[in-house]
Amino acid sequence: MIFLLPAIGLVAGLLLGAEMLSPAEFLALVADPSSPMSHLVLQWRLPRVLAAGCVGALLALGGAIFQGVFRNPLAEPYLLGSAGGAAVGATVALLVVLPFSATLALPLLAFLGAWGATWLVLAMARMTGRSSIAALLLAGVAVAAVLAAMRSFLMLALSDETVSLQAVLSWALGGVQTPSWRELALLVALTGGAVVLAQSLARGLDLLGLGEGVAESFGLPVRRFVALAVLAAAFIVAVSTVWGGLVGFVGLMAPHIARWRHGPLHRGLMPRAAAIGAGLVMLCDGLARAVLPPAEIPLGLVTALIGGPFFLLILAREVRRG
Amino acid sequence: MAEVALEGKGLAFSAGGTPLVQGVSTALERGRVLGVIGPNGAGKSTLGKLLVGQLAPQAGEVMLMGRPLAAWPRRERAALIGHLPQHFEPHWDYRVDELLRLGLDRAGRGAPTLEVLAGHFDLGALLKRHWSTLSGGERARALTAAVLAPDPPVVLADEPAAALDVGQAAALMARLRKLADGGAAVAVVVHDLNLAARWCDRLLLMEAGRAVTEAGPAEVLNSPELDRVFATRFQRVALPEGGMVLAPAG
Repeated sequence: MIFLLPAIGLVAGLLLGAEMLSPAEFLALVADPSSPMSHLVLQWRLPRVLAAGCVGALLALGGAIFQGVFRNPLAEPYLLGSAGGAAVGATVALLVVLPFSATLALPLLAFLGAWGATWLVLAMARMTGRSSIAALLLAGVAVAAVLAAMRSFLMLALSDETVSLQAVLSWALGGVQTPSWRELALLVALTGGAVVLAQSLARGLDLLGLGEGVAESFGLPVRRFVALAVLAAAFIVAVSTVWGGLVGFVGLMAPHIARWRHGPLHRGLMPRAAAIGAGLVMLCDGLARAVLPPAEIPLGLVTALIGGPFFLLILAREVRRG
Repeated sequence: MAEVALEGKGLAFSAGGTPLVQGVSTALERGRVLGVIGPNGAGKSTLGKLLVGQLAPQAGEVMLMGRPLAAWPRRERAALIGHLPQHFEPHWDYRVDELLRLGLDRAGRGAPTLEVLAGHFDLGALLKRHWSTLSGGERARALTAAVLAPDPPVVLADEPAAALDVGQAAALMARLRKLADGGAAVAVVVHDLNLAARWCDRLLLMEAGRAVTEAGPAEVLNSPELDRVFATRFQRVALPEGGMVLAPAG
């Protein structure tokens, strides 16, 4: 059932939008690809929905790795500040004239931002002497607030109030733009690579779930593995942020639902989380286009409306557990 | 003399300027159970962590099968040493079969199947149960099975009986004894001196990070050093079948 979710999300994403389609209308459009509406759906809506699916899968994989590394069910790219770090990096790439190509600068700076922010949160949480949920979340909130302020400052100080500010703003609120087929192919390849990368970390994450001491005695080089896993998660989050902006809570919800359905072992959890994330973001992207036509509401707003209560539910459960 | 499987030579380790282990040498021999005893803060658990490689000694060295511990590939070392930690609470609610598979993963060829391993530890009926639903004794059996899955020739258990009732503690110690009888070198950090008296071949008495004495149980437990180190006067009762029972004299 879980692996059907991307297909369900794809269909929902194709039917939803400023122009709502019934399944029958959709099939008629597919049968007659020469009509203008068919062109709109197949050339504009389809690549966008597929890109949204990839962004969702990436966010879910990033969240699953972070939750496994920190052994914390509330760890999530958005809450840990790594998405915020990627956003600052990307903002710099979009607004500052750099001595190298913007095509390279955007993913590179987003990755460095995500990586740096994650380590900063981890270091701050460790400074408290405990790796509790509260310490990690408070550090994440503090770092995310500082990063948001930095991003706002950069936007105010560096934008020329024309295209760049608008681009950064819409991207910061979270949203998937329609990519070219070539860009989509790259995103699909990166998402496939992310699945393989996440799967390669599965056994180590399972061992880490036994505690650092036991993981070490079962043969896992804990420090090296954690550093590698954070690097991998930062890369995955950076790719998702470059394509989808700041989209919160998907990295929290998808691994959770996968764990409920499948159990905690990461080899099975990773592909399921990716499938749930893909389906969820495709559906949310459709809703973002359909709720206030012809305007679009930011994707990040839709995921936050669904994910916020979900987060509070899990937080309440974790607090009850102590 | 029995074959030495794991040996610590002049081990020292400090944390935050406080010496936790100071110049301790000891050896784990095949077929023998070494009991490590001493009051809280004596450095028993730190010594255990140094011996299994969880901490790197700041002085001295640990030899595994005659080769420096650090020179062993991590995966091989994991299959050779089974370490039962003092505290264990998995972060995720693993099922028993999942936990055992993680333990079996590090075993090479000739490892038992999941069912055989579960049978050895009487866990057959519990395989699909989650960790959170197990009793203390069931948890101890599941963890022990995961740790001992590759049939390691060296076993170090850090206060494995601390959270168990009398019967469960005796069963666990009997299992460790059986491992030694099968040729494993076993060390147990143990608080209960009567368990140490009953199941160990040698005892290492520690105090403030140092080894006070290491000898057979009768010699260590009858030593006045024991009373001094624990700051209490023990009453010792010899058992008709051999061995003894100790209790604070009050």
